[in-house]
Amino acid sequence: MPMVLLECDKDIPEREQHVYIKAEGENTTMFLPASNVATIPGTLSERGCSFCGAKLVIGAVIKDTIQLIHGPIGCAYDTWHTKRYISDNDNFQLKYAWSSGMKESHVIFGGEKQLEKSINEAFDAMPESKRMFLYTTCTTALIGDDTRAVARRVMDQRPDVDIFIIECPGFAGVSQSKGHHVLNISWMNDKVGTLEPEITSPYTINFIGDYNIQGDTFLLQEYWDRLGIQVIAHFTGNATYDELRCMHRAQLNVVNCARSAGYIANELKKRYGIPRLDMDAWGFRYMADGLRKIGAFFGIEDKVEQLIEEEYAKYKPQLDWYRERLTGKKMAIWTGGPRLWHWTRAVEEDLGVEVVAMSSKFGHQEDFEKAIARGRVGTVYIDDANEKEFFEVIDMVRPDVIFTGPRVGELVKKMHIPYINGHAYHNGPYMGFLGFVNLARDMYNAVKSPMWKLAAQDIREV
Amino acid sequence: MENKIEQLTEYIQKDCLWQFFSRAWDREENIEGVLNGTEALLTGPVEEATSDMDRCHMADAKVLSRAFTSSFGWIRDMNKEELHALFQGVKQRMREIVITSSHNEELHVKNY
Repeated sequence: MPMVLLECDKDIPEREQHVYIKAEGENTTMFLPASNVATIPGTLSERGCSFCGAKLVIGAVIKDTIQLIHGPIGCAYDTWHTKRYISDNDNFQLKYAWSSGMKESHVIFGGEKQLEKSINEAFDAMPESKRMFLYTTCTTALIGDDTRAVARRVMDQRPDVDIFIIECPGFAGVSQSKGHHVLNISWMNDKVGTLEPEITSPYTINFIGDYNIQGDTFLLQEYWDRLGIQVIAHFTGNATYDELRCMHRAQLNVVNCARSAGYIANELKKRYGIPRLDMDAWGFRYMADGLRKIGAFFGIEDKVEQLIEEEYAKYKPQLDWYRERLTGKKMAIWTGGPRLWHWTRAVEEDLGVEVVAMSSKFGHQEDFEKAIARGRVGTVYIDDANEKEFFEVIDMVRPDVIFTGPRVGELVKKMHIPYINGHAYHNGPYMGFLGFVNLARDMYNAVKSPMWKLAAQDIREV
Repeated sequence: MENKIEQLTEYIQKDCLWQFFSRAWDREENIEGVLNGTEALLTGPVEEATSDMDRCHMADAKVLSRAFTSSFGWIRDMNKEELHALFQGVKQRMREIVITSSHNEELHVKNY
């Protein structure tokens, strides 16, 4: 089947290039949705801005760093406290956000003095923190504030602090994906290689594209510890600023989220010759195969097999209990991009769940190549879906559960369809062996809950 | 042979992330590295990897060769020449799907 023009899109026919239903015998050389292109006027996108991609997704995860947003207060508030990436230092990064608090007068007369004052105030208020991520926003980029010059001046006055500049205003790209890109490349250019790590193991990796959502990083760290592997840097789950400066010393880059962080893995390969090994950290077989590859790289296959055996013994019976009860259920994945291809076969293989619709906010064509190659025939694949498309697709495929973000989640809850937070999880972590049991449990609780039927009843008629 | 090539290609398409790296040159490098390694593991002898890149390709190749032998019993009955022809065919199909006929407009962008 070629690309599809949904009924709700008849007045914006360009949307046909973004919606695909896979037919038997088709592959991505025949059809591939347009993606990572500007949202078409007239369609109400679910996307975030480029600044949000840099700050909310990657930068703000770092646990010991002041996050200063040079712009009006809303840019700081709206990217604060909305995602559950925890840390082992009492969640410093979740508690605090800083803004230069731009006002109209700063726009007229320039905001650099205000920025310098804000940087100093932040370091004075947090004397333990010597590291800062400094972001430009739409307002301060448009008026041309020179954040680099201001940061240099502060660093000259305060030699013990280090400031990283991210020049990625909200309008810089078509979605949050541009923010991922800018942060990756800027970090590579400005900070990687500026500090040397202490090497404590003959086996060293960077684990790239994991943001410690509800403890994913903690769970994976247990595996690395058992295998004797030193993680030079997690990019960026539970990471410190200085760990990330040492990424050039790892022997291997293990990549989970290739969309938000593939860039830095590519650059580390190009500039330092560190190979890139992609894996799926969600799902039993995927996780086991990922560990096997790492084991093969370092020649520690026996240790890896032992770990897998222990984890299977502990968690596979629990997974199978859920599999018995979830087989045949239909699921939709409406998230950012990579979880489409990470999850579609993992839930099918491990839980017998069929993914009937996938939608990506900011995925590129590379993500759709992966999702369509792994996805089922008859499944609907959408780029940058809008609300009306969600309603129409729900009518078409009738999912039993939808993994998506809180915004779309609220929408589908009103239709009495169970929703699970596909970004920040309901009760994670979801990575690793224990994590996938958690995902299965949340799916089971959602699908089997009697609440959905009760919620549909009109209490005046009961 | 064509049918066998399609079976392996379909397995790789559904399973392997290395085929979908960001740029055409990365994909080409991985197709060569991983599939040559897989062939070597199935035919032997395997030369010791001399670089980190080779070790990385062999890591993927080990998992893939194990999957091939467990999913496609007929692969064990093939001799060295037949396996070589098989893997040449798979490499050609992979190049076609993920590089030469791919609609991915970012494959040839100069920078990452």
